Amino acid sequence: MAVDESYRTYSHPVYDFMMKVPGLDVMTTTVDKILSYGSEASLWIFPVATSCCGIEFMALAASRVDADRMGAIVRGSPRHSDVMIVAGTITVKMAPRVKKLWDQMPEPKWAIAVGSCAISGDFYRDIYSVVPGIDTFIPVDVYVPGCPPNPEAMMHGLLRLQEKIRASASGRDLNREARPEPIQHQRLPRLPILGDPSRPSDLDRQQVASAASLGWWDELNLDKALELAASESANESDDEQKT
Amino acid sequence: MKLLGAENSPEVQQLLIEQFSATATTIGGPPEIAVDRHVELAKILRDEHQYRIFGFVVAVHYPTRVKEATEAGEVIRVSYGLRSVGKGTRLASWQLCVPVGQSVPTLVYLFAGADWQEREQYDLVGVRFDGHPDLRRLMLSEDWQGHPLRKDYAIDTKVHPWR
Repeated sequence: MAVDESYRTYSHPVYDFMMKVPGLDVMTTTVDKILSYGSEASLWIFPVATSCCGIEFMALAASRVDADRMGAIVRGSPRHSDVMIVAGTITVKMAPRVKKLWDQMPEPKWAIAVGSCAISGDFYRDIYSVVPGIDTFIPVDVYVPGCPPNPEAMMHGLLRLQEKIRASASGRDLNREARPEPIQHQRLPRLPILGDPSRPSDLDRQQVASAASLGWWDELNLDKALELAASESANESDDEQKT
Repeated sequence: MKLLGAENSPEVQQLLIEQFSATATTIGGPPEIAVDRHVELAKILRDEHQYRIFGFVVAVHYPTRVKEATEAGEVIRVSYGLRSVGKGTRLASWQLCVPVGQSVPTLVYLFAGADWQEREQYDLVGVRFDGHPDLRRLMLSEDWQGHPLRKDYAIDTKVHPWR
């Protein structure tokens, strides 16, 4: 027999039978190819379109780009779908819903993150209500960068996913892993908030002065306010020293 | 006397000053009135001055650090605006100033449109509306801790398990 059996560490009746019949292992790889062709040529899409990337996604399904020619039909139910395309910002409130929909999709399933918000949160990353990338809670196969990416880029993402399905059917190891927890310092605010001891006192003065230059705080005695704030923080530090 | 908040029509300004002893604030915005006469003012504006559309309610948190500017301690300032179709004026607006933790009387029973807007302000700033029939969170998830538009809300507050 052509196959080297020396490394086998497991046994299964079906596998043993397949190995005994000459030519059957060749046939099963052929069947694998046919099955993977079936998977990659009928990628039914479940869209999670939450913002402007969703508008570009509509162009992907429309006639000019026409994802339908790859067999990618947009479906309204997660139970009919193979690919979840997350296009747009996912908020903390939306994330459990997306996870629930992902869990409702039958295997085999894939996920595509479209746009920089779905990939990393982009400039909404530090906001209290936004998830910094959907790969913090579901495994993502293909990332399509852009803000928003054009429909051709999304089509390219679909083609890359087809390549990936083909590769994994031919035995290459392409396991997905959720990204680890984002690093702490990336979430800290760029400017210390009011009352933060690390906030420079000059910043207070600049911000109040810019507000005053707009005519908002006409009757505000700026110097007095800043003096009082300084004495307050001095008192606080005194208290800390006493304790 | 001219109050800040020039968008009020002369008629409404006169009403605010003479009947409600409204004052200009040091930080700008519409004229300030007492909290306990707030519903009365809204009722008069709705019934006698044709302001029948609820425009907005916006709350802003002023922390202790700027209390000398407001001279009232740590406060939440709540601004209201009503709109009128018949009058042809833009809006009638006023503001309230309450210490943090004190509630504001609701306007839901005068204007149905105030319902969700008051819920939003409760959600984000944490000002409570007395007598609101259904004061739940509107924008954020139900199990959220704290009110994110307060100035003392730490921006890196950890939200389990997606943040």
